[in-house]
Amino acid sequence: PIGQTSDELFSSQVHPVLFSAYKTVGFVFDENGKDVTPQPLYQPDPAAVMSKHSKIFASDTSGGTMSDFYSTAYQTTTNASFAGPFTRSVFGSSTVSRGSQSTMESMNEEIEDPSSKRDISISLSDVQVRREEVKELIKEEMLDDVVDRYLIESETLWLLHMPAVSVSVDSEEAESVKERNNLYMELCKNRMGNDKYVERSMQTFNGAPKTKEVQSEAITMVDAATTWDMYDSFRSAGLGEAALSPDTDKATSASSSRIEIEPFVVPSEDEPDPELVLQSEKFQQDLFVMERIILENIYQPKLAAYRQLPTLEDPDSVPKVVPTVVSRREESSLDEESTLTPALERLWSFSCELTSGHNVSSMAWNKRNPDLLAVGYGQFDFKDQKSGLICCWSLKNPTWPERVFTCESGVTTLDFSASNASQLAVGMHDGSIATYNVESREKTPVIDSSDCAHKHTSPVWQVRWIDHERGASGEDKGETLISVSADGRISKWFLRKGLDCIDLMKLKRTRNEKDKKQVGDKEKKSEALISRQAPGLCFDFHPTDSNIYIAGTEEGHIHKCSCSYNEQFLETYIAHKGPLYRITWSPFCSDVFLSCSSDWTIQLWRQDLFTPVLGFTSTQSAVYDVMWSPKWATVFGAVNEGRVEIWDLGASILDPTIVSLASPGVKLTSLLFATETDCILVGDSDGQVSIYQLKNLTVGEGTQVRQGFPTG
Amino acid sequence: MAEVEETLKRIQTHKGVIGTIVVNAEGIPIRTTLDNSTTVQYTGLLHQLTMKARSTVRDIDPQNDLAFLRIRSKKHEIMVAPDKEYLLIVIQNPSE
Repeated sequence: PIGQTSDELFSSQVHPVLFSAYKTVGFVFDENGKDVTPQPLYQPDPAAVMSKHSKIFASDTSGGTMSDFYSTAYQTTTNASFAGPFTRSVFGSSTVSRGSQSTMESMNEEIEDPSSKRDISISLSDVQVRREEVKELIKEEMLDDVVDRYLIESETLWLLHMPAVSVSVDSEEAESVKERNNLYMELCKNRMGNDKYVERSMQTFNGAPKTKEVQSEAITMVDAATTWDMYDSFRSAGLGEAALSPDTDKATSASSSRIEIEPFVVPSEDEPDPELVLQSEKFQQDLFVMERIILENIYQPKLAAYRQLPTLEDPDSVPKVVPTVVSRREESSLDEESTLTPALERLWSFSCELTSGHNVSSMAWNKRNPDLLAVGYGQFDFKDQKSGLICCWSLKNPTWPERVFTCESGVTTLDFSASNASQLAVGMHDGSIATYNVESREKTPVIDSSDCAHKHTSPVWQVRWIDHERGASGEDKGETLISVSADGRISKWFLRKGLDCIDLMKLKRTRNEKDKKQVGDKEKKSEALISRQAPGLCFDFHPTDSNIYIAGTEEGHIHKCSCSYNEQFLETYIAHKGPLYRITWSPFCSDVFLSCSSDWTIQLWRQDLFTPVLGFTSTQSAVYDVMWSPKWATVFGAVNEGRVEIWDLGASILDPTIVSLASPGVKLTSLLFATETDCILVGDSDGQVSIYQLKNLTVGEGTQVRQGFPTG
Repeated sequence: MAEVEETLKRIQTHKGVIGTIVVNAEGIPIRTTLDNSTTVQYTGLLHQLTMKARSTVRDIDPQNDLAFLRIRSKKHEIMVAPDKEYLLIVIQNPSE
């Protein structure tokens, strides 16, 4: 309690003095003259009080004695009091300084009646003196001194006085009290029937209410301004969001800016057609996404199996153990895996009502988006030609294609470009070639070969985009479109004022040496009349040397050709007895290629040998498609009319490792391996493309390039 | 426009889809395959939930916005595609 700050003292000019008045001489008396002064709660530091007051009192009193000081303080308070019954005359000895007089006026009022008992000041000064004494250092000498101590009884301070409600019988007042009581009792008895006391009802008048108008500032009710609300407001008001710091007074700034931007807010059109929503672009987008999400829910296990992810299990259902395809590196555990036979597991199939009834003729993966698949539908035979169909399917939606293009004639082949990933080249049964841009929603081809003078006159059986790293002339660099058709020409297409082509090769009919001797002149002549060209059915460019390619014809011959020579073949391989449907180089072993034909066989060739290294026959039906696995060097898949076969040459060269039968009545027509996962796609004559997963296929030494295949 | 109708129809025919509701900004259902009372109930409740979800996302980062909302319950999954102009709601029972 010693350190009373100057602030407190000076907070109002009155109070410090008042306070000190309390301390020093403050005694409160009520009307009856009884002293009801409350005891001060603390004693301020006299030194501090003194120094402050010296300012107030402009002090001459600084040097004064204690008693003088307090007496002057007292004086001032008395002088300031309005109705003080106690006058100046209390302290005769003290003098009022001028300074104090001036401050008296400045001081105001409400000072309680101070008392003027001498005792007070004496007692207080005594108190002060005592304090001072405490502070004095107790020195050695003083210990022996005789010190006088005066003990004085202070005034009794009444804190609470409750007058008694009962009086003792012996006291003086007892008589008067008794008498008064008796009078009262008489009064109560006389009340009944006395005219003075009549029961009467009263009514208080309720004053008429009056409406009174009150005016205040408009009270704006705003929701608690959220962070994003302010962000939006600032954005739309064009103020920019850089200046807004979250520490600023949010509510007021938001409400003020809100009021400002009212005129800026674009008023919504009055009652737009509710149907309008359905036509908005965003809605279509959302529908699209929603559909995919729904399908993901349905197909999630299958898609996860496709992508070789662990499948999410419904917590309520019994978990099934899904055996994953064994990696080819796990050769040591062959014993265990032999119990699990390799098999194809059907995951799902791409089909919809648009495609039912159409024959799947070709499939191709998009080069950039591995989830996008283009499927061409068209009949192989010339007999039941319908309009062709191209569907681009996404893995994320197996029930409806992303793009549907209809063509006039059946589609026989298609291929995605690698350099321009959305460009799809299509070859058709009527010999025309077209390119489509799958990104746009256009239903028409980007370019068509129908105006070309040299276009094919017979069905185009294969188109392929070939990337020439080095070309003979400048324009050969980059990708070109190569096609082979039944009119015996292999053509290279390019854009020069429209689609135009030049012939890379004309497939002349070659005759077997044996036949030449046996066939008579007649037959020779009749053969020559029909055509000198042999219909080409398939071709494939060498994986590393883009100048060399092999082509298969309807005669069953395989010709190795070069882009540099367009008149002569480099080599001819003769073994098949029927039209070759597919020919393909091995992606791992650059000397080896496979061919399949309608003579029920698949032949494995080496570039430098003129007889096939290996032949594979399993059933007596034409093999429509064959493809090397992109992952394993010894595995390839083949599809004939009734079955899908996966051959693993490392396991067996006589029998296919996996065989899967087609549904009855449906012919399987095309095959495609998935590039990143162990799945194959099989297209059939009913318009369905089924996805199968290869399970438990152990392939030893998979990617090792094996230079020597056993001969014979 | 026809494509939109077709897609809506297709969505409805997918396996497990119980109902599809399209609501505009005022809360009026434009398209629904459920009965009226259910539609109104779903609309009202999901509208509030979507607002709350959007508010949450944007409070954290005002430049972000709610793109999709999926509620997986024991029996169904409710999928909501929210927008300023509309709400697209699909209820599916995925394990059917």
